[in-house]
Amino acid sequence: MTFKKWIKSLIFFEILMGMKETMKHFLNYRPITLEYPHVKKSLPDNYRGMLGLLRYDDGTEKCVGCDLCEAACPSRVIRVVSAEVPGEPTKRYAKDYDMDMTRCLFCGLCVQACPVDALGMSQEFEWAVYDKRHLQLNKQQLLAIGDRAFPEREKRLEFQHPNVAYFNVSFKDIPEKEC
Amino acid sequence: MFDAGIKLALTLSQIGVVMGVVLLTVAALTLLERKVLSWMQDRMGPMEVGPYGVLQPVADGLKLFFKEDIIPAGANRIMFSLAPILVLVPALIGFAVIPFGPDWTVEVLGVEFKPFVISDINVGVLYVLAFASIGAYGIILGGWSSNSKYSLLGGLRSAAQLISYELNVGLAIVGVLLLSGSLSLVTISEAQAGGFWHWYAFDPLPFPQFVAFVVFLIASVAETNRVPFDLPEAESELVAGFFTEYSGMRFAFFFLAEYANMILVSCMSTVLFFGGWHAPVPFLQAPGDFAWITGIFWFTVKVYGFLFLFFWLRATLPRLRYDQLMRFGWKVLLPIALGNVVVTSILAYIFPNS
Repeated sequence: MTFKKWIKSLIFFEILMGMKETMKHFLNYRPITLEYPHVKKSLPDNYRGMLGLLRYDDGTEKCVGCDLCEAACPSRVIRVVSAEVPGEPTKRYAKDYDMDMTRCLFCGLCVQACPVDALGMSQEFEWAVYDKRHLQLNKQQLLAIGDRAFPEREKRLEFQHPNVAYFNVSFKDIPEKEC
Repeated sequence: MFDAGIKLALTLSQIGVVMGVVLLTVAALTLLERKVLSWMQDRMGPMEVGPYGVLQPVADGLKLFFKEDIIPAGANRIMFSLAPILVLVPALIGFAVIPFGPDWTVEVLGVEFKPFVISDINVGVLYVLAFASIGAYGIILGGWSSNSKYSLLGGLRSAAQLISYELNVGLAIVGVLLLSGSLSLVTISEAQAGGFWHWYAFDPLPFPQFVAFVVFLIASVAETNRVPFDLPEAESELVAGFFTEYSGMRFAFFFLAEYANMILVSCMSTVLFFGGWHAPVPFLQAPGDFAWITGIFWFTVKVYGFLFLFFWLRATLPRLRYDQLMRFGWKVLLPIALGNVVVTSILAYIFPNS
């Protein structure tokens, strides 16, 4: 046994085995590289990318300014200033809706917290900027992200149930409530 | 006077050709190394510049050329500028004695001229070894004059490593010198004519120098600071070792010198142990006046084979720890090399004419 080991160390047996392994990879060249800017990886459906504010089909904002997203956010990304819709005292909306995306950790808790499904996580992730201030988004920018990421505003499955659907539609046509 | 002028012009053009080929090979090697390494690691390597990234060396060269040349505060400016030159020049100067083809002498306008070796000096091996040691000064100076801890540590490591491994290179070569009876690389490569069984690495009588070849190869990997002996520039420990503080063209000089040293070491092992320009079997060698074509071809093939071995080792082996490196050099390689010298000299005495 020791003699065998001695011979093995004499002819660099382990090193030769390692070199055989690397040569095997060299000859069966199968790279696992994804050439990223040219080839893009297909993302899963529940990918948590850039946040965006959503609208109803008629173009009104879904957000009712309830501040629940602000309360849910663990890194205090969101700042909501709630206000009455002018001329309609029963309705509220977010006058300001700012997100400091430099702090966002893309946990998706704000999306879960939203009672009216006004927030969505898009598949966008290429948000490298030269100026950090470009990542402090205001309401218009967030709405634009939502518009381009969700051109078809499908309701999330859990919001399609009629009992909760009350919040999820435009105020103009409230569906019949089933008992 | 006229003869001297012709001779000078011929030699200068020869130097130009050799330098050009070496520097082009260096450029090709930077790409080749990255490609080979990445293929062995299931990656792609450079793919962006040109088709399959073949123009990457050009892009690298342009980038290095336009980089800002920074001299760190507190650095010794003269030494700092001198170090890259002191590394690069010895690396390139060694090619003066390497025979790339047959040992022919042609007459050009009444001047004798050897087309395939720049200068056939009778102490060629010593010349190459001496200049390899001078290259170490450049590394030590570069490490010391940068005024950086990492550089200094890299330089010191390089010095200690070079001393212990240069000894093994020298002792491994002694066997070949005993067999060929000459220090001239031209004579050594001419003595290995006629098939691979006459190459010193395999020549059965008086004694095959294969062990010496392995020792030489390991020691020369250490001498060129390549993985697994790249302690002077260990990335994970010393940032970049002795050239941490260098940038721009000065960095490029170190880079060029490293690759030129690799080529030089490959040329040396080809000439000393693998028959120089001779074909592995005689019928693969073109007859008569065309021998130089196959000669240069086989020389290139062998040198690239050794260079590929360097890349292969780099892809396979992790870096040694420093005490392991020193122990391996002094306690393993040195006794083997000495034993090889003893056995070879005894056998060369018993079988004097084989």
